[in-house]
This record gives sequence, C-alpha cells and structure tokens, in this order.
Amino acid sequence: MDIQNLTAAQNYASARPATAPVDTSAGAALQNGMRDFAQTLRQGEEAAMAAMTSQSDPHALVQALSQAELAVETAVTVRNRVVEAYQEILRMPV
Amino acid sequence: MSEFSKALSMTSAGLAAQTARLRHLSENIANAATPGYRRKTVPFEQVQSRMGGPAQIAAGRVKLDQRPLERIFDPGHPLADDTGHFDGSNVDLMIELADAREAQRTYEANIKMFDQTRQMSASLMELLRK
Repeated sequence: MDIQNLTAAQNYASARPATAPVDTSAGAALQNGMRDFAQTLRQGEEAAMAAMTSQSDPHALVQALSQAELAVETAVTVRNRVVEAYQEILRMPV
Repeated sequence: MSEFSKALSMTSAGLAAQTARLRHLSENIANAATPGYRRKTVPFEQVQSRMGGPAQIAAGRVKLDQRPLERIFDPGHPLADDTGHFDGSNVDLMIELADAREAQRTYEANIKMFDQTRQMSASLMELLRK
C-alpha cells in the first residue's frame, strides 16, 4: 500500500512540470502590444480634446477615433478569445 | 502600425489636402471681383510622415497664377488709368467651380476608402468572433 502511494507521488511529481507556466517572450510582446493600445487610446482622447477646442481639424479627430476603434475592436476580440480558451480549460474533466 | 492604420492615416491626409484645396478655391471665388487679385493654385505633394510611415499627400505652398489680369473698361472707377481701364482679377469662375467639383469628388472617393478600410478590419475581426 505504502509503495503504491510512493509511486503515485513520484508520478505526480514527474508530471507536475507540465502544468508549470512556460516562460516565453510572448509576455513581453503582449506587454508591448498593450502599451501600443493604451497609447492609441490616449491619442484618440487628445485629438478629441484638441478638436473640441478647435486646435486641430476634424480630420485628425476622425482619424484618431477610427484608429482607437480599430485598436479597441482588436483588443476586445483577442481578450474574448483568451477568456474563452481559459473557460474551456476550466471545464475540462479531470 | 498595421496596414489598416496606415490606410486610415493616408486617407485622412487626402481628406485634409482636399479641404485645403477647397479653402483656396472659395477664396478665389470670393475675390473674383477684387481688382488686381491673382487666383491661388494649390499644388499637391507627397510628404514623409513623422513616424516613418508611407509618404502622405499634403497641400504644398500656394502659388499665384501668373496669367495676365483682366483689363476692365470703366472710366468712372477710382483705379482707372488714362485709357479708362483698370486691372480686374484673373479668376475664371468656370474653372474655379469645376475645380471645386473635382475636389468634392476626390473627397468622396477618400471617404469611401475610409469606410472600406473600416469595414475590412471589422470583418477581419468578425472572423475571430465565431
């Protein structure tokens, strides 16, 4: 009985690294992407403020807002996919 | 910067350039009866954008049309010389209106491109939403 427990524990210990988070450069790339995203949003806000106080022409406003829309849409879609994948893993029968 | 973003910024630069052109056209038309006024023309040129993107269009330095001014006969006019003539403007309303129409058409084409770019990016993202 004891020896069975021991092998089970050993098996578990040997299989355990498979579940450890893998350190890849994807994290850094993601961080860069998020920084880009935040900057695009900030530019959109600045352009909106400048256009409201008539410091820039409306074309800049339209362009900046469209860029922001593009960025938000991309980010939301990617986030939805990530959350979906996470929930898929959570639902996995163990 | 994705190709969609580049297309958007390129298109909005085109819109701004056409607006600048329209501004000078309306200036010409407003000054059609001003004595000695020479019509302004707006050359378009390609400008390298700051962030290393593709070259964008922009309205360049305004030039004055050097065609001879129209000689108008009106001896009672305060600017009239010995022969009773004075210099009018060299604005031809027909040319200005045709130019304005062309600016409008180009503007509409740019708007269409803007819309198309957004639709394309939206349908690309729609792919992931299934």
